[in-house]
Amino acid sequence: MSAVLRSLRSARVLIALGMIFCIACCAVFAGYLAPHDPGDQNLLAILTPPAWAEGGDPSYPLGTDSLGRCVLSRLIYGARTAMLVAVFASLGAMIIGSILAHVSGYFGGAIDWIIGRLVDVWMSFPPVILSLILMVGLGVGLGKVILAVVLVDWTRFCRVLRAEVLVVTRHDYVAAARLLGFTHWQTIVREVLPATLPLLITLLSLEMAIAVVVEAILSFVGLGVGADQPAWGQMIADARQYVYQSPWNLLLPILAIFLTVLAFNLLGDGLRRTLDVRLAETGR
Amino acid sequence: MVTTVLKLIARRLLVAIPILLIVSALLFCVLRMLPVDPAAMSLPPNATIEEVEAKRREMGLDKPLPQQYLIWISDALHGDFGRSIALRRDAGSLVAATLPATIQLAVCAMIIAAILGVGGGLLLFHVRGTLLEPVVDLVSVLLLSIPEFLWGLILLFVFGVALQVLPFTGEVSPGLPIPHVAGFLLLDSLLVGRLDVFLSACSHLILPAVALGLAFSPTIMRVLRSSLFDIYHEDYIAQARLRGLSESRILLRHALKNASLPTLTLAGVQFGILFGGTLLVEVIYSYPGMGNLMVDAVRNADLPLIQAIGLTYCVVVLIINTMVDSFYVVLNPKLRVR
Repeated sequence: MSAVLRSLRSARVLIALGMIFCIACCAVFAGYLAPHDPGDQNLLAILTPPAWAEGGDPSYPLGTDSLGRCVLSRLIYGARTAMLVAVFASLGAMIIGSILAHVSGYFGGAIDWIIGRLVDVWMSFPPVILSLILMVGLGVGLGKVILAVVLVDWTRFCRVLRAEVLVVTRHDYVAAARLLGFTHWQTIVREVLPATLPLLITLLSLEMAIAVVVEAILSFVGLGVGADQPAWGQMIADARQYVYQSPWNLLLPILAIFLTVLAFNLLGDGLRRTLDVRLAETGR
Repeated sequence: MVTTVLKLIARRLLVAIPILLIVSALLFCVLRMLPVDPAAMSLPPNATIEEVEAKRREMGLDKPLPQQYLIWISDALHGDFGRSIALRRDAGSLVAATLPATIQLAVCAMIIAAILGVGGGLLLFHVRGTLLEPVVDLVSVLLLSIPEFLWGLILLFVFGVALQVLPFTGEVSPGLPIPHVAGFLLLDSLLVGRLDVFLSACSHLILPAVALGLAFSPTIMRVLRSSLFDIYHEDYIAQARLRGLSESRILLRHALKNASLPTLTLAGVQFGILFGGTLLVEVIYSYPGMGNLMVDAVRNADLPLIQAIGLTYCVVVLIINTMVDSFYVVLNPKLRVR
């Protein structure tokens, strides 16, 4: 735990936490921060530019979209969608992935083989394709997006953590715990888990970045949270059709996604350095 | 060495067959969760209930799920993936018509990613210990945070909309003929001697390929750098230095060669993910590949087509993994003796 506290001295981690705090505030207090209801349409003021540009309306600080909805309000409510997916999907993927990884790495043998083959099957699908197919089967909605991300991304945790568990399990103190009469469950929770925790936390923050991107992708394709809920991917899909009339509508959600992903990646990178985690980088 | 590689390919294929069977079964089950009736969808809306029932029997939908799966998989093995419900064409031939365009895009993107990744990795390694290191390092985290989907939109905006220097929709300019020889447009246009079509196809391919390449280069960069770091602790680097070799010669002739192995393994994994990433780039640039076909199929709940495309993506990934493993054996002398 002291290592986690030590990481708070790293500039990267602090900057990242600051950014995440701001985005999280937007998500939590969206109702107070947004000047308009994100679904309110004003068909007399469609595609107005941001307030500072020529023809801008001060009551719509960042302009309106093709249905006359306030872009700023949709960005703020979009943060809520993105953060909900980031937090719950990555926690879900972490729980499934790390339980399977610990079981697999600790017990070895047939269980390890079965879980290993399961990961192989999952990995033979490009993640984007697998999540699309899952969304076809599940249908649209916020909960469905979270479930799809969990079902696709548990393998990231499982694969990386299993290797770590394998190394930790060979240490003498794990054998000593068994000799002292710890059950397998106690050994895993009290001896193995603390040693794999730094890697787990690092992976969790990187997974949050991935979840934000996946949510944006699914909403962009039209298979995300559903039309009634504002999402950055949806805003991009809408703005793409009117890119000549109002380029800001395209650039602002892109910026929002980029900053959110950057914050989580920066946090992951900072944690990796300060917690001294050796991470096999296999990308997204 | 040839026998080792052949043995490896044979072994990989043996593993691939059960994986494909399980994947196809999973695919089949997930898509059967849909609350749509393919029989009703393939008939006109004024069809009677009896007609729908007859169609269900004809399509085999009244049989139990495992039997339906066996029928589908045995048809698929004979090259029959069923008919697309929305497009009313053979799903297999639809996939075959769009797969080459996607492969062409993925290969070009991989080449760009490899060039940028190796260049950037060498740069990252070169600036180690200098004042530039934190700057370059931060830039690499920034780059890592822009997925292919955002690169696609950013490049479209900058080069297509703002600067208007490159085209950003379709495969060639409208009005130009699309020759069909092997299915790969760049190759085909050269084969039929249409340089104008070739140049148009190239300019249309630049933005999507660069967008994908840019998104996948940072991971290659970072892995190359960390394997270079590892290798510089090895004795043979110190020895090369004692022999008086120049630093650049040590880096390029000794270290890079050995650092390329872990990088190649990663590039293989990346290529599988990159192949999936083509889907988004194709949608953004209206590029007529398999990804666009997939998104249309998904929007229409076109089950036979989704199954055919899903399975194709999976087969391509397995083939890529096998190829990367074979390369690995060819390049790594330590693995040849076994």
